[in-house]
Amino acid sequence: MPTKTISVRIDGELIAAQEGQSILEVARAAGKNIPTLCYLKGLSPVGACRVCIVELAGTGRLLPSCTTPMQEGMSIITVSAKLELYRRLAVELLLVERNHVCSSCVSNGHCELQDLAQELGITHVRYAYNNPRMPVDMTHPRFVLDHNRCILCTRCVRTCAEVEGARVWEVAGRGIHSRIVCDLKDDWGAAENCTSCGKCIQSCPTGALAEKGFAVHEMVKETGKISRLAAQRSGHSNGAGLP
Amino acid sequence: MLRIEDIGIFNAVRETGLARLTPPIPRITVSMGTCGQGNDAEEVYHALNTAIDRSGLDVMLVPVGCFGSCFLEPLVSVRLPGYPAVVLSRVQSNDAARILEGVPSGVMPADLIFCKIEEWDHITGHVRYGQGYPEIPLWNAIPFFKGQMKIVLRNCGLINPSDIEEFIGVGGYQALYKVLIDGRPETVIEQIKAARLRGRGGAGFLTGNKWDFLAKAKADSKYLICNADEGDPGAFMNRNEIEGDPHSLLEGMLIGAYATGATDGIIYVRAEYPLAVSRLKRAIEQAREYGLQGANILGRGFNFDIQIVEGAGAFVCGEETAMIASLEGHAGRPRPRPPYPAQHGLFGQPTNINNVETWYNIAPIITRGASWFAETGSAKSPGTKVFSLVGKIHNTGLVEMPLGTPLKSFIFDAGEGPVNGRRIKAVQTGGPSGGCIPATMLDTPVDYESLAQLGSIMGSGGMVVMDEDNCMVDVARYFVEFTHPESCGKCVPCRVGLDKALRILNAITRGNGTHELMEKLDELCRMVRESSLCGLGQSAPNPVLTTLRHFREEYEDHIVAHRCLAGVCQELTFSPCENSCPLHMNIPRFLTLYQEGRLEDAFVSVVLDNPLPASTGRVCQHPCDNRCRRQSFDEPLNIRDVHRFIADSIYQTDRFEPLVERVLARRLPATGHKIAVAGAGPTGLTAAFYLAMLGHEVTIFEEHSEAGGMLRFAIPEYRLPKSVLHRELELIERAGVTMRFNTRVGIDVDLNDLADQFDAVFLAIGTWKESWLYLAGTELRGVYPALQFLEALARHEEILVGSRVAIVGGGNAAIDSARQVLRMGARPTILYRRERKDMPAIDEEIQAAEEEGVRIVFLAAPHRILGDAKGNVKGIEIVKTRLGEYDKSGRRRPIPTDEVQRYECDNVILAVGETFDLDFCRASGLELKESGTIVADRYTYETSRANFYAGGDVITGASNVSNAMGSGKQAAMNIDERLMGARRWEQLFPEFHYGSQAPPEPRLSRRHAAHPLAAAVRVQSQQEVVAGLTAQDAMDESRRCLRCDLRTVVSAR
Repeated sequence: MPTKTISVRIDGELIAAQEGQSILEVARAAGKNIPTLCYLKGLSPVGACRVCIVELAGTGRLLPSCTTPMQEGMSIITVSAKLELYRRLAVELLLVERNHVCSSCVSNGHCELQDLAQELGITHVRYAYNNPRMPVDMTHPRFVLDHNRCILCTRCVRTCAEVEGARVWEVAGRGIHSRIVCDLKDDWGAAENCTSCGKCIQSCPTGALAEKGFAVHEMVKETGKISRLAAQRSGHSNGAGLP
Repeated sequence: MLRIEDIGIFNAVRETGLARLTPPIPRITVSMGTCGQGNDAEEVYHALNTAIDRSGLDVMLVPVGCFGSCFLEPLVSVRLPGYPAVVLSRVQSNDAARILEGVPSGVMPADLIFCKIEEWDHITGHVRYGQGYPEIPLWNAIPFFKGQMKIVLRNCGLINPSDIEEFIGVGGYQALYKVLIDGRPETVIEQIKAARLRGRGGAGFLTGNKWDFLAKAKADSKYLICNADEGDPGAFMNRNEIEGDPHSLLEGMLIGAYATGATDGIIYVRAEYPLAVSRLKRAIEQAREYGLQGANILGRGFNFDIQIVEGAGAFVCGEETAMIASLEGHAGRPRPRPPYPAQHGLFGQPTNINNVETWYNIAPIITRGASWFAETGSAKSPGTKVFSLVGKIHNTGLVEMPLGTPLKSFIFDAGEGPVNGRRIKAVQTGGPSGGCIPATMLDTPVDYESLAQLGSIMGSGGMVVMDEDNCMVDVARYFVEFTHPESCGKCVPCRVGLDKALRILNAITRGNGTHELMEKLDELCRMVRESSLCGLGQSAPNPVLTTLRHFREEYEDHIVAHRCLAGVCQELTFSPCENSCPLHMNIPRFLTLYQEGRLEDAFVSVVLDNPLPASTGRVCQHPCDNRCRRQSFDEPLNIRDVHRFIADSIYQTDRFEPLVERVLARRLPATGHKIAVAGAGPTGLTAAFYLAMLGHEVTIFEEHSEAGGMLRFAIPEYRLPKSVLHRELELIERAGVTMRFNTRVGIDVDLNDLADQFDAVFLAIGTWKESWLYLAGTELRGVYPALQFLEALARHEEILVGSRVAIVGGGNAAIDSARQVLRMGARPTILYRRERKDMPAIDEEIQAAEEEGVRIVFLAAPHRILGDAKGNVKGIEIVKTRLGEYDKSGRRRPIPTDEVQRYECDNVILAVGETFDLDFCRASGLELKESGTIVADRYTYETSRANFYAGGDVITGASNVSNAMGSGKQAAMNIDERLMGARRWEQLFPEFHYGSQAPPEPRLSRRHAAHPLAAAVRVQSQQEVVAGLTAQDAMDESRRCLRCDLRTVVSAR
C-alpha cells in the first residue's frame, strides 16, 4: 500500500516520515534514542510501561511514542527535564514493585530493566520497596516463571498470541495485584495449550521467564529473533510470502 | 397493545397518556426510586393500596421515580381533579389511612405537606394540574428547588416510569417523530452542534462533533453506546434518571442512531443498579410493543434495536476503550487512543459512546431548538447539569442547575448550608477523579473549565460536601484507596504509582509522615496524572493534588504536630474532646478520676493540663461540646462545667495548699535559663506557668497593674468573679513566675534589651486596641470603644452612661457591654448587621443577655452617630441591611438597603472587633504579616528573630481564651525543647492509674447544666450569674462519658 510522506519535527529537527508510522519508529529511523521497555519490534505496541513517553511541543502533553501515530506537522520533544524525571520514576516504580534482586537473577547483566536503569542513571530508588511475596512457577520441565522479576510488560502475552498463536499467557487480577497467568491460572507444567516453543522466554526483558539450568548471569535473551519471526509472520498473514 | 404507525395513533396515545396524569379521579403517586425504596416507599405504596381498597374510593395509585429531594423521601403526591398535586414528604406507611381520609374532603395531613405543583413544564410538553391550596408553597418556592432548572429531570418523579403512554402523554417520542418525519440526519447533527451540547460524562467533548465522526465513518455496522456505568462514590444521577424516566434515554439514543446511521444500540449499565436495569428492560419491551424499537419505527422505515449489557462493576469500564473491551468479552482494560472509537471501536467498527445524561438532553434540543438550549447555562457550557448533592449538607438529593451557577448556590441555596451549625470546609466534585475545592472558593462557577482550573473536574456530577469533621488527608487517602484496586494494572504509573501514593498517605494518616514523603507524594501524583494511559490514572491523583494544594496545612498538622484536627485519623486522635480542646486536656482522664471519687487526683490532672481551669470553666467557647460523641446518642457532655466544678471545689477548701505543693513538686530542677514573657493574659500566663514548671526563670512584663489580661479587664465580674481568677493566679505565681506590672514591652523596656538579658523572649501581648469604625460622629462625647468601657468598669473607674445606650457589634464584647449597661441601670440596644445565628458571641451568653432584657436589632448597620449642639451623643442612625450572597465565612453578606432608622441614645459603644499596635515589633526586626500580626511558625512559634517567640492573638488575630492558652502551652513546650535541646515536656506530668473499663451500655440521660440566677435578680448586681454544678450533678455528668479514649483491641484473624 503506498503511503503518504509527512513532515514532522523531532526536537526541532525537520524530518520526513511515512503516514501511519509511530512516533517511536520515526524517531528511531532518524537516529533518536527514546528508551523503551514494553515495546518489542514486531509485536503490537501497548503503551504500558510509559518509559517511551515524549512531549507534544507547545502543549506539554505527554504521549507514549510506541502507540501514537505521527501526524503531519506534529512537533515532538524527546528530551526534557520532565521526561527524564517521569521515565526515571516509571523505572523506579517497577524496581520497588516486586523483588528485583540482580545479584541472584539469571538475567543479571543481560536484563533490559537493569540496562534501562543504568541508562537513566538510577543508582538507588527513593520509594520504599514493596517486598511482596511472589511465587515462582517451576512446574514446566524446561522453563521457569519467576513473578518476582515480572514487570507486566506483556511481551510474553503478545509473543504467544501474535507469533506462536497459542495464547497461553494472559494477565489476571487488577491494579497492583495483576499477574501473568498461564492457561486460565494453571501451573505452567499443566498448561495444555503451551507448545513449549520457548518464544516467551526470549521476548521477556527480565529474568521473569527463563530456561532452567542457567545460573546467575547466564541467561541471555534473543529478542531479535522474536522481532524477525514476528516480521515473517506478519509477512505471511499479509500474503506477501517469505522475505 | 397499540403499535404506533401513524400520527393519528400517536396523538391518540398521547391523549390517553396525558389524561392519565390529570384523571377525573384522585391520583396518588409514590416516588419509588432507589432513594424512596431505601426509605420504605414500597411499604407506603402497599399501605396506600390497602387503604384505597378499604375506603372503597376510586383512586389511581401510581409509582413514580425520584423527584430530586432525596432527603425527604418517601414522597407521596396527591392530586384531586382540578387541584394542584400536593407533595407530601417523609410519608410512612402508618400515614396511609390519614392521607386517604383526607382525599374526599381535599384536606391533606398538615404535618406532611411539602409543596404543591400547579403546572409542570416537561420541556417536550406541558401539564396543568389545577389551582388551589393558597396556603401551600409552590414547589419552586422551596429553597431546594428555587434555582433549579429541570431539563434532564423534566419527567422524573412525575410520570410512571413503567408506563410508556404517560411518557408519550408529556411529549415523549415526539422529538423522535419530528426527526423521522422531517429531519434529515445532517440537520439533526447540525442542531446538536448548534446547541453546543457537551458530554455529560465529565470530559465535556462536543456531542455534535462526536456524532459527526460516527456519521461520516463508513462501515457495515456502527455502534451507539450509552455509558451508564456510574461508579463514583456519592454519585447517583444516572441511576435516578433511568429509574424515573427510562424512555427519555431510549428516545435520545433513537434520535442519535437516526442522525449517525448507527445500526446497533447498547446500554452498558452497572449490574449494581437492579432497579434501573429492570425499569430499562421494561421500557425497551414496551417501546417494542408500541413500535418504537426494532423494525420500521413509528412506521417511518427506520430500524434500531437497543440492548442492555450489565457491567460487572469494574470502575475502569466507565472509560470508553475499557468499556469496549468489556463488551467484546475481554477483561476491561483500556487501550491507548488513537485510534478513537469513532474509527475503530466495538468489534473494530465505528462506535460512539455518550453518557446517560447527554442522551437526556437530545429530545429537549430537538423540541425547543438549539438556540433555546444554547441560551441556558454559560456561554462555553450551555445547558444544565444534574449533581448529586451529598455529604455534610442540610438538603441532599439531585440538583439540576444551569451550568455556570456558582458552587455556593448549590451549597447554600439548594443545599441550605451545613448541618448542626458546622462550617463547610470543602466541596468534592467529580468523585475519585475529581478534587476538593476549599470553602473559600465557593464563588467558582460550576462549568468544565472553572473546575478544571482548580484541579478538580465536573465529572459525571458527584458533589460531596465536607465540614470540619472531615480530614482532608483522609479524604485523599479514601479516594486513592478506592481507585488503586480499580486500576486495571496495565500501565506502570497507575498500577504502581497509585499503590505507592496510598502507602504514603497511609503513613501520613498514621503519624509516620515526613515533609520529604509529602514532596515525593506530590511529585509522584503529578507523574501519575500526566503519564498514565487512560482517564482513570490521569484523574485518580486529583484528590491528592487538590488537597495538597488547598489544604497543605492539614497535611503539615499530621506530619509535624501529629494532630488530625478533624479527629478522623485514629492513630493521631486520643479522643474527640481532647482533640478539639486547644489545651488538649485529657478529658476522659479527669472525668474518670472524679467518678472514682478521686477529686484531688482529678484536680491535679486538670490543673496540670490547664493552669486556669476555673476561669476557662466559666468563659471557654467549649469546642469539646461540638465533638462529644454522646451527642449522637442524647446530648453532649457538659465538660466545661465539670472541670470548673473540680477546680472550684479545691479552691474553696483548705486542700488548696497541699495540692499546690503537690503540683509544684512536679517542677523540674532549675535550668538557669531566663525567659521573658510579654503580656500577662491567658497566653502569657499559660506559657509562663509551664516554662516555670520546666525549671526556667520566668519574668512576665505586663502593661496593666494586674495579671489576667482580658480575663481581668474585659470579662465582667458577673461572668468571672475576680476572686476565682486570683486563686488561679496565685498558683501560677507560686510556680516561680515573677511579674513586672505597669511595664510596656517596646516602650518601657526595649526588645533589644530583653534580648540581651534573657535567653528567650515570648511575645503574648494580645489584642488591646479596639478596631475603630470610620463613622461620622465617633468624635462625639459619649462614644466608647467596648474594651475601654469594660476595662473602666473592671477597674471600678467612673464611666457614665445615660439612660439609653446603643452597642454596635455582635461578638462577646458587645454582649458583655450590653449586660454591663443593664447592670448600670440603663437600657442597652445592640445593633448587629447580620442575623442572630451569625453572631460570633457564645450562644449561651446571647441567650442570657436576651433573658435579661437586652434588645438586639438585627440587620442594622451603623450609618452615623448624631450629636447635639454641645457635642454629646443624642442618637444613632442605622441602615437596614438585607442578606445577600454567602461570603467566605459561610455567612450571608449584609447589603445596605435604602431604609434608614434612627435610635435615640445617650451613648454609643463600639464593639466591632479588636486589633493591635505592633509597630514597635517591626523596629526590632520582627516580621509582621499584612494583617498586622507577627509572623511566627505554626508549630514552633518562632518568629523571624532568633530567640523570639510569639503566640496567642498577636499571631492569629483576635481569638478566644482557650485558643490563646493552647498557643501559650504549645509555645512553652517548644521553647523548652529549643533551649534544652531535648524534649522534657512529658516529665512534667505524673502517671495516673485509673479505670480503663468501657462504660456499660449507655442509657438516655439529660445533660446536667448549671443553674443561672433569675434574670430579674442578676441584673441588680455583679453577682456571678451561673453557679456551678452540684457535686451530684458533676458526678452524674462525668458518668455520662463514653470513654472514646479506650481502644478495643480486635485481634487479627
